[in-house]
Amino acid sequence: MDRRTILKGLAGAGGLALTGGLSAPALSQGAAARTLRFVPQANLANFDPIWGTQYVVRNAAAMVWDTLYGIDSSFQPQRQMVESEEVTDDGTTWTFKLRPGLKFHDGEPVLSKDVVASLTRWSARDPMGLMLKALQQELTAVDDRTFKWVLKQPFPKMLFALGKNNSPCAFIMPERIAQTDPFKQISDYIGSGPLKFVKSEWVPGAKAVFEKFADYVPRQEKPSWLAGGKQMMIDRVEWVIMPDPATAAAALQNGEIDWWENPIADLVPVLKKNKNISVDIGDPLGNIGSFRMNFLYPPFNDVKARRAVLMALSQEDYMRAIVGDDNSLWKPLPGYFTPDTPLYTEVGGEILKGKRDLDAAKKLLAESGYSGQPVTCLVAQDQPITKAMGDVTADLLKRLGMNVDFVATDWGTVGSRRAQKTPPGQGGWNMFHTWHAGADCVNPAPYTAIRANGDKAWFGWPTSSGTEKEVTSWFEAKNLDEEKAAIGRLNKAAMDDVVYAPTGFFLGYTAWRKNVSGVAKGPVPLFWNVTKSA
Amino acid sequence: MLSYILRRIVSTLPVMAIVALFVFSLLYIAPGDPAVVIAGDQASPEDVERIRQSLGLDRPFLIQFGSWVWRILHGDLGTSIFTNLPVSTMIGQRLGPTLSLMMVTLLLTIVVAVPLGVVAAWKAGSLIDRVIMGFAVFGFSLPVFVVGYMLAYIFALELEWLPVQGYTPLAQGFWPWLENLILPAIALGCVYIALIARITRATMLEVLQQDYIRTARAKGLGQGGILFVHALKNAAVPIVTVIGIGIALLIGGAVVTESVFAIPGLGRLTIDAILRRDYPVIQGIVLLFSFVYVLVNLMIDVIYTLVDPRIRY
Repeated sequence: MDRRTILKGLAGAGGLALTGGLSAPALSQGAAARTLRFVPQANLANFDPIWGTQYVVRNAAAMVWDTLYGIDSSFQPQRQMVESEEVTDDGTTWTFKLRPGLKFHDGEPVLSKDVVASLTRWSARDPMGLMLKALQQELTAVDDRTFKWVLKQPFPKMLFALGKNNSPCAFIMPERIAQTDPFKQISDYIGSGPLKFVKSEWVPGAKAVFEKFADYVPRQEKPSWLAGGKQMMIDRVEWVIMPDPATAAAALQNGEIDWWENPIADLVPVLKKNKNISVDIGDPLGNIGSFRMNFLYPPFNDVKARRAVLMALSQEDYMRAIVGDDNSLWKPLPGYFTPDTPLYTEVGGEILKGKRDLDAAKKLLAESGYSGQPVTCLVAQDQPITKAMGDVTADLLKRLGMNVDFVATDWGTVGSRRAQKTPPGQGGWNMFHTWHAGADCVNPAPYTAIRANGDKAWFGWPTSSGTEKEVTSWFEAKNLDEEKAAIGRLNKAAMDDVVYAPTGFFLGYTAWRKNVSGVAKGPVPLFWNVTKSA
Repeated sequence: MLSYILRRIVSTLPVMAIVALFVFSLLYIAPGDPAVVIAGDQASPEDVERIRQSLGLDRPFLIQFGSWVWRILHGDLGTSIFTNLPVSTMIGQRLGPTLSLMMVTLLLTIVVAVPLGVVAAWKAGSLIDRVIMGFAVFGFSLPVFVVGYMLAYIFALELEWLPVQGYTPLAQGFWPWLENLILPAIALGCVYIALIARITRATMLEVLQQDYIRTARAKGLGQGGILFVHALKNAAVPIVTVIGIGIALLIGGAVVTESVFAIPGLGRLTIDAILRRDYPVIQGIVLLFSFVYVLVNLMIDVIYTLVDPRIRY
């Protein structure tokens, strides 16, 4: 008998006296094996994937709501809820037919009217959806399983738009839910996917529970990312929110959780040493680090100043600050698109390659007319990635001879201050740090940060007519060769004008107990086809 | 006494009104915008603005404050901007873990600290006294999170006696409930054990010099009776005061402890709400905490009358 058993016995005896014999229902080994306890990257604070576009919401929503198409690991959209599609020769009329037997979690069949309402809500928020909406003549249900989307002009990226996995995805909800204003949050979570959301057990900030939906009809194809057969091998997935990485690491080692989505680099060596734990790269699309410079005010309204910073910037410094000494976790990125994806290019990226030339950078900065005015640099200290990048940037700017006004703050404040277009000394800013999920940077469709249409562009409001021209070329491209050519030109134009400064490409690990199998790499944690033994 | 208690409860209302105005004003002028967090990194400024409008965050300060006060007066703490759940529901979900943690910590603190302080006073100047006071200094100096990590490493990871994290409601069994609270309570209790042990020692030293203690000894009373019946009762007022202050401080300590041990309590809810700028939740929690603070002070005043019959209100 060990100490814990004695303690249990003593406390149990006392407890019986105090609680009148209240006891927990015993969880059988089989039941425990059918429950997967998962620590997600962040708190599931809301659960409307159209209203709130955070990745953690998208990840949870991908279990609960299915999509018409799913992007597979070769970046091709594959049919999911759709059985077949047709497009007219002029490319303007798309007719889709749903698979038979699809059901929502309340037992109601998935009908075309549900799809039409879902796509209408999605297209009010998603950048590609907005493009489709602008081209739309009509989106109608033809019959219960058929719907039609008529456009004013062809939109070759239609299937990619419907299946893309970056937020917000085109999830299919019941019509009554999808009719909610896209700028207001839903409160009914009836889904169409392989897992049901158990609202009664949801404790925001602590726990979210999902249960297998028995009537889900998986496809027969092999699973690949969000495409293919989504077979649920476990009955219940419990998301346990753990704000402290050290606690999550200890809980994983102690067998209190089964899978930790994103262990921090510092703790990975400890996890790797544990014989009961597997560690591997989680999302192969990784992330792109970035800092954005404000095009509206000196010094970065001058391309020479922006290029001077790029010329002196060492991506290795940034990446080591983020991931430490693990070389398998980062790559230099002399471009803007996700490495190892079909459109990746380094065309125009020479400025980021080779030995850093501080003297040439200083000379270029002087040519821009910079004369020592403060450079307001926003750095969120509560995000390890932005904090690490901010420290490197501060050092870089000082070495360039710039006068750095280092604003150490939190992410919430950066989020609102970066939207200010006022001058830096009056509540505005000159630069801020962030990072982009690699899934968002595979092509220009979901890539808000690459757009350079001035006032309408993302924070920093870059203007680069060359970049914008090539974004249009990519959308109009008819095959992969044309797409690649357009992206090459786009990358060069964006690099020449320094739409933003890429600080490198970095990956993250995921870790799970060895009694869990079937954990697949992907841009989203994939719970289907995962099994767990006792 | 009853009228005194009622008067004190009524007097909390202006205190809470001032707290409410202060907190609301502070949040209004603080930087940060929940709409930005909701909209996500890819959202356009127009999207953010539409979300601000839908949440009513674009309305003038006085209108926002007025409608909030009106709802409070009707017993409605509002709805969380992020979860779309009533604030009262969210607080209700988190109350159990925090109350459990505070209760176990308080119990542990009193059971350990008071006897330690009494013994230290009794053996003042001896090795026992020095050891106890040494521990007190040690407990006082160590941050909660350091103690927490050390305890989790030793008792959960190495010895495998207790779980690392989590919370199990009492309804699911006494041991499952208690085993999740032992390490957090020790971590959180260290500072208070140190504080209360030192106060108890100091107060007891003073009391033990009194004539009636000498008389008790002369009458032949046992050491235990002298220390724990005659002396401790007379030293109780300052000790109760410090315990009361400790309860208020526990609220702050719970924020860190709940994060380290992943306990889904009010502390974590507070931090999450502040980081996301979930104004209704922050306001609800601050109101609750201020009410608890006032209530604890009232309880202490009442306890004074029980331990010292000379005190009357």
